[in-house]
Amino acid sequence: MNQTLLSNAHQLATRSLAWLYATHDQGHGVLPPEDSNVDLDLSNPDNAYKPIGECALAGSLVLRESVAGPTDRERARALLDFGWQQLRQGDLLYERQFRHILISDPLEMYGHFHRSGYRHAALEDLLHSLDGLRSTHAVEAMANRQLAVVNARSVVGLESKPDWDALAATTWLGARPEPWAIDWITGYNVTHTVFHMTDWGAVPDRLPVPLQEYLAEWLPVWVDIWQETGQWDLMGELLIVDACLPESVCDPDSLAQLVAVQHPDGLLPRDLDPIDEDPGKAFKENEHTAVVGVLAGTLTLARTLR
Amino acid sequence: MPFADSPQREYAAATEWAAGRALDALTGAEGAALPAADVPEPQALLAADRVLGPDVFAPALLTGRPTPPEVAARAAEAFVLFPADWSGVHAWRDRATAELLARAGHPVAAESPPLPPDPGEHGWQRWSVLMAQLCCLALPTLDSPVHQRAREHPLALARGATRAMLRRDHRTATRLVRWLAWLQSVGTPLALELRPLLRQLALTGDGTARTALDLAVAERLAAA
Repeated sequence: MNQTLLSNAHQLATRSLAWLYATHDQGHGVLPPEDSNVDLDLSNPDNAYKPIGECALAGSLVLRESVAGPTDRERARALLDFGWQQLRQGDLLYERQFRHILISDPLEMYGHFHRSGYRHAALEDLLHSLDGLRSTHAVEAMANRQLAVVNARSVVGLESKPDWDALAATTWLGARPEPWAIDWITGYNVTHTVFHMTDWGAVPDRLPVPLQEYLAEWLPVWVDIWQETGQWDLMGELLIVDACLPESVCDPDSLAQLVAVQHPDGLLPRDLDPIDEDPGKAFKENEHTAVVGVLAGTLTLARTLR
Repeated sequence: MPFADSPQREYAAATEWAAGRALDALTGAEGAALPAADVPEPQALLAADRVLGPDVFAPALLTGRPTPPEVAARAAEAFVLFPADWSGVHAWRDRATAELLARAGHPVAAESPPLPPDPGEHGWQRWSVLMAQLCCLALPTLDSPVHQRAREHPLALARGATRAMLRRDHRTATRLVRWLAWLQSVGTPLALELRPLLRQLALTGDGTARTALDLAVAERLAAA
């Protein structure tokens, strides 16, 4: 067992989680007041709705994997409690899903909380009902987004049974395309395909073997490329992909590189740009990468110790 | 030669000229009358032959047409005029040149360079760059420990080619694709499809005759 890798993975996850905890404690990541319109403007980059879901995902996987110490588990639970409180114990999700039956973000958001034991009975009834409609299953979306919805349905325990292999085949990754023809945004499409196909590493074999083999060949190249260009957010997501595979295929030094660029307070920069001096902007610009740090560290530890 | 203002530039220009002539010979475009003013000075031409190394014989090895005697004689003269340094891995280029000169009736003294590195020691990134620098060995009938390394590590070469493509380093990509084409020609299965790569590189080449020659060699090997 590679002790340096374990140490780096632990440090990356713990410090990223500490930064998320501290920044939330300082008041960042809060939704508008309760009396504002429940129709959140998700196109607004300043909106806290999406970050709440991302932090809930990070917290839920820290609790799921049971490789974190007591302090980290408390912080993970605190992030989930904070998010659940911001969502008014799920009421906001219910209202949003009730008004817009074809959108998927309430379901996906609820999945993160559901994984950690949070429940909203009316929302679950609604989701079960919507799962029975042909309409909700026919909504047009990018292939990896379809996988996000399908995995959320699975996490919440809805009845529909997807054909995972058929869904995987519709993604960019599923075509096993020329690996030299990838670009930055397609890199994110690949990572999310793997995240949802494997439920964030919980079921690695749900990813078809040919795609596992394809990633074993080319994932190291993509990690190398985005490491060289300092795209820490995408590189971190690619290392999460590595942790979602049955066995690691990447150089352990790549994780060490993420640890090396992490700031002493745990901030993990998303790229090579300077960190904004305004704490609010620094939070908004780097919150996603902190979540990536938590997941990359946690899932690497979990797979290595499994 | 009127266009050079330093020996380095003059030799670089002569190398481009010589690569262009090799490319013409390979693609069957030779025979066009060349303005005398464009022909490099003799010393620069010898230096160019030395840089091209085994690729002086690439047209013959790929088309079956014999190397013109004056071309082989000039390559032999260049080999003597600019002696090889046998201490480095790059001397495998000279080793191959010496072998091809001997086949052409111009035996020259040659030694054995150090064993080529392995991607296990250097990582596939650094190793593939080194192999790109040795791509002029990727020719029919040549074999050596460098070729053996290539046969043992087709994925490392394919990763190197992919990395070079993504870094927009089309020269290195072309050189590694030449190795991949050579591997395919000797029956080694590849992790990358050659045809789309060759098509893309034909569109994105770096505009030099040397890279065009590498690409033409790769296309010939891929079609073999």
